[in-house]
Amino acid sequence: MRMWLPKILLLLSGLLLAACTPHQNQGLQGVVQFDGQPLAGVQLAVYLQSSGDRTTQPFATAVSDGAGRYRLELPPGRYYLVAKKRQTDASGHSRMLMAECPTNPLRLTDAPLEVPGFSLREMGQGGRLVADPGTGIGGRLLSAGKPLSGAYVYVYLEDAAGLRGPSYGEAVATDADGRFRVELPAGSYYLAARKRADGARFGELQPGDLNGDFAANPVRLAIGQTRQLPDWSLTPVDAKVRAERFRQGRFAYSATGLAGRAVDEQGRPAAGIYVYAYLDSRMVGKPSYISAPTGADGRFRVNLGEAGRYYIGARSTYGGPLEPGERVGTFDGKADHRAEVKAGKTLALGDIVVREVW
Amino acid sequence: MKQLLLVCLLLVPGLAQALSLTGEVRWQGEVHQTETVRVEPGASLIIAPGAKVTFAAGQLEVAGRLQARQVSFAGTHWQGVVLKGCASDTLVADSSVRGAEIGIQVIGGEPRIEGTDFESNRVGLELRQSQASVSGCRFQDNAKVGLFVKDESRAAIINNSFIGNGKFGCYIFRAQPRRFAGNTFNANPVGIMVSYFGSDPLLEENCLTGNQVAIRVDRAARPTLRRNDLRDNGTGLDLYRRADPLVEANRIAGNKVGVQIAYSSYPQLHGNDLSGNGVALLLKDQSMVWEREKGARVRSGAASQSPFGGRKRGQVGEAQRAPRQQDGSVDARDNWWGKDATAELTRLGADGNVSFIVDGRDSAGFKEDGKLYPLDVVRYAPWRLEAVTWP
Repeated sequence: MRMWLPKILLLLSGLLLAACTPHQNQGLQGVVQFDGQPLAGVQLAVYLQSSGDRTTQPFATAVSDGAGRYRLELPPGRYYLVAKKRQTDASGHSRMLMAECPTNPLRLTDAPLEVPGFSLREMGQGGRLVADPGTGIGGRLLSAGKPLSGAYVYVYLEDAAGLRGPSYGEAVATDADGRFRVELPAGSYYLAARKRADGARFGELQPGDLNGDFAANPVRLAIGQTRQLPDWSLTPVDAKVRAERFRQGRFAYSATGLAGRAVDEQGRPAAGIYVYAYLDSRMVGKPSYISAPTGADGRFRVNLGEAGRYYIGARSTYGGPLEPGERVGTFDGKADHRAEVKAGKTLALGDIVVREVW
Repeated sequence: MKQLLLVCLLLVPGLAQALSLTGEVRWQGEVHQTETVRVEPGASLIIAPGAKVTFAAGQLEVAGRLQARQVSFAGTHWQGVVLKGCASDTLVADSSVRGAEIGIQVIGGEPRIEGTDFESNRVGLELRQSQASVSGCRFQDNAKVGLFVKDESRAAIINNSFIGNGKFGCYIFRAQPRRFAGNTFNANPVGIMVSYFGSDPLLEENCLTGNQVAIRVDRAARPTLRRNDLRDNGTGLDLYRRADPLVEANRIAGNKVGVQIAYSSYPQLHGNDLSGNGVALLLKDQSMVWEREKGARVRSGAASQSPFGGRKRGQVGEAQRAPRQQDGSVDARDNWWGKDATAELTRLGADGNVSFIVDGRDSAGFKEDGKLYPLDVVRYAPWRLEAVTWP
């Protein structure tokens, strides 16, 4: 018997492996795109569960070819497909493209499955999201145990910026009962909520304003899924904490920086102008650094965390879409508005002209 | 016991230091400030009738409550009054605000602003996300805009007058006032501007005379215009870039151009008095052929600009912006065109080339990139046989 045991085990192992090894004609295939074009080099990862930590090892992976096409050999089952690619643009800055397959979960039988093509999104960029049908998140905000009306829930695509600033993909207000609902495409989201005393949707939080991030971030959403979140409480901004954050934050002095003056078309100092420094040459979404608003003399200083190439814009509004009457300008020392800053130096940009836009 | 901190600043012309006001504070007489004054949440600033408040710099920022009746607010390099989340017990009445960047900026809340003159400011009054009530005010000679209503404001704007402002009497941008009625507009480049998708207010019983353009609707805004009086303006109603208002029972008479329609705008014009205009209806660069070929692409390009010119995802989808009516006609049935015009209509019939409408019957169209795009035509039949009357 002992002599036969290894042979039996070997035979059983072989049978098991044969059962688990996908046939050549089984699996998923499809095309991934970005900005309307097929995208090569995208990592397609397959998971067995809809939620959970996407940083864990996926069940299977593949990479798209030059035509954006991918193929994954898989046994029959139920799978969740996620596509991602880190890309470096011409100016050397990286960005993350990502998407969950809108038709997740994918049910695979013993025949190959052609997955409908889908597009990756750039993470952390501004601009609203185009919702999938019947897909969204709802919930209720509370303050001191009572429903909180007139607060805003912000939907971020990533948490790298600490869920602060104007890079949110969507913002919705709560109703009289403190409830909100936001339509979204399938994906993974980070939620934060704020209520400013003045009712504004954006702007620096002041002491006494209410603030809070959703405790169970990220919230994952499959196509056609509506998730009702548990009640979520906001707490007042503490003046001391805010002052400390302010001191350590983007206005904190650093030896590396940009300085200059904002002026109007007549060359007069322009007050109330924020100067934005972007790493991304397109100058969209959340800037990497921002100045305090200019005073009556139009002078500004942007404190930078590191040396490098920045793209510089200026506007009279702290985030949000462009409004009529707003003053907008760019640093025009270079045609692409870039400024090269050396470590420990303050680069003088001279005057940035801001013009009214109607 | 009610605790009040009563601070009376009885200031002859002189300087007061920057202030953070708490408790109940009263001002009277002449008050001069050189820096921002902030009324903290829970605090009240009560300014006595006859007071003259001047700012050499900064602003009066009210996060608590403000009561100002018969008060003059003025300055040369000041930002103005900012009301942040003030409740309806904040009142500025029978006062004047002059010389500010923004005379009064209302952010949130529902303060009342009544019978107040806004003169010679850059912007007279700006409402953001507010349910303020603005009534009986006069907006005159402000450099840019008399009243700016923006950012989802649901304000009530009633019985105000707008005279000689630099660009716009009233600008409604991404907002929907809950009531906009009984206002008069005179001598403005544009009396009322309604712009952007989501700006769908009802404008009712307003009177607009002597403006270069009485009302302009732009960029997929869809207001309803009812029982307004647009007379003796350069252009009565200017519809531009996908503007689809519902225009009912208005008097649009005696203007050089009654209604100008351009760039894929498809209004509904019914029951109006369109008599006595130089040209009643003028179509300009308006073609469904162009719209089908280029409309969505042009709008996509415009919407994808970031503030600094880069590309960004648009915030309004094409499904929201696209015209609902796509048969290449402008619907102007059931209007009164005037006595002589009616005789001409009777003579030429339902598809005649009448003299008071300029459309595809008058012109081959317009050229773009070497291609000729035919102008749309106006459907005017049936027409009214009697003048429109208002009780």
